[in-house]
Amino acid sequence: MSTAVLRRVVITGIGVVSPQGNTPVEFFNNLLAGNSGVSRIKASFVDALETKIAAQADFDGTQYFIKQQLALLDRVSQFALYCAEQAIQDAHLVLSEVEPSRVGCYMGTGMGGASATEDGYDRLFKQKATRLKPFTVLMAMNGAAASQIAMQYHLQGPNLTFTTACSSSAIAIGEAVRQIQHGYCDVMIAGGTEALLTFGTIKAWEALRTLAKEDELNLAHSCKPFSANRTGLVLGEGAAVFVLEELTYAQARGAKIYAEVSGYGTTNDSTHITQPSVDGQARAMQAALNNANLVPHQIGYINAHGTGTQLNDATETAAIKQVFGEHANSLSISSTKSMHGHLMGAAGAVELVATTLALVNNQLPPTINLHEPDPMCDLDYVANQFKNVDNLQHAMSNSFAFGGTSGVLILSKVNNRSAF
Amino acid sequence: MEDTFSIVKEMIAKKLEIEPASIQLNSNLTDIGLDSLDTFDIIFEAEDKFGIKIPNDQVNVVTISDVVNLFDRLLQEKAKVSL
Repeated sequence: MSTAVLRRVVITGIGVVSPQGNTPVEFFNNLLAGNSGVSRIKASFVDALETKIAAQADFDGTQYFIKQQLALLDRVSQFALYCAEQAIQDAHLVLSEVEPSRVGCYMGTGMGGASATEDGYDRLFKQKATRLKPFTVLMAMNGAAASQIAMQYHLQGPNLTFTTACSSSAIAIGEAVRQIQHGYCDVMIAGGTEALLTFGTIKAWEALRTLAKEDELNLAHSCKPFSANRTGLVLGEGAAVFVLEELTYAQARGAKIYAEVSGYGTTNDSTHITQPSVDGQARAMQAALNNANLVPHQIGYINAHGTGTQLNDATETAAIKQVFGEHANSLSISSTKSMHGHLMGAAGAVELVATTLALVNNQLPPTINLHEPDPMCDLDYVANQFKNVDNLQHAMSNSFAFGGTSGVLILSKVNNRSAF
Repeated sequence: MEDTFSIVKEMIAKKLEIEPASIQLNSNLTDIGLDSLDTFDIIFEAEDKFGIKIPNDQVNVVTISDVVNLFDRLLQEKAKVSL
């Protein structure tokens, strides 16, 4: 174990696009109220789908970008740029006052510019076009969003895009934290973005048989994490971007500090491309705890990966028990995916927004649609009603993924962390 | 020539959201605000509009008149072929 003293990293700005609204406050208030963002998909191709529900973001790029910009920006990059602007403004960060090479941008995405890719195939194969629009590659490539942010804000530090399926943005944020901890950067713009609600992508997910069945009474209640009657995940779209800063740097400029990113753990299950592993998930949580120098009983809340599939929720519950032992029974755990769906490459980032605001406000968003107890899922999932807590100190956010790469982040209230 | 120029002016003006009158034959593409990618986009659109195919080795255009001349030449070649 290294004895080097690591620099501390804090969150000073947040931006979000989500099925629950496009500001952090709106997003979090809707989560507390238990408002689902799941609805009938608004798209021309909906009738050709088996699964006609998703959690769509109410986001019209033409309101924020001029035509010339839009010609180069897939929806996924529009989300990212919008969130970056919101986060930088929220942080009151004047980037011209920061050495550009000391600011980087790390983003996570699963599918990148899915619409651009699909439009291209549609033209070639369906419309029998003989050529594609010149910007297709530039819109579709996975690194586009992070590159667009760097160009917009003149960020000359490291610029990487992580793609580890559903944990992509948790990894992006964790690795960004390390860039600051290890002294390469003072500020990182980090998060994730996903806009994959295209015909082809949804069809591909249908084929995996992991999508939730529509709830017969209310389709908004189709995603039921940890409930015995859960039938799968609901696809969603959105993005979240954070401004991360070195603690003393943020303090010196009088920045508002939401929380410290005190721990990050990433591991690979190394077992199966889709099936989650208890040991793998447990190793990631333990790695994050070790990294934060925390012991299990110090964690008060876990924002679970909680996809709503039979396998994930039982596995995650077992993994939490393995790591937290007796304390698992006094932990509060919730899956906000019950409301915003599974945002894939953006899930870790968007859920970290929920975790951050839970920590700041001492309010835990619920797991909605949890009405049927499952003996395999027997912990406190903050069922259906949000919970006020007394001075939450440390919270964990879990992200697991197809491909087995887990990303676990721990947030802590800054005042209560001694320098170590 | 005049017709092609008008069409090119319209296309660029629409793309950049500027006044067509501000575009002259001797205008430099970069000065108007067209980078190499924008130029590819204009060429893409022109291929559709004029029914021509612009070879990769002929896209090195610098001024508006380069663009107009390129399109005109290809249009003439096309006319010859269809005769």
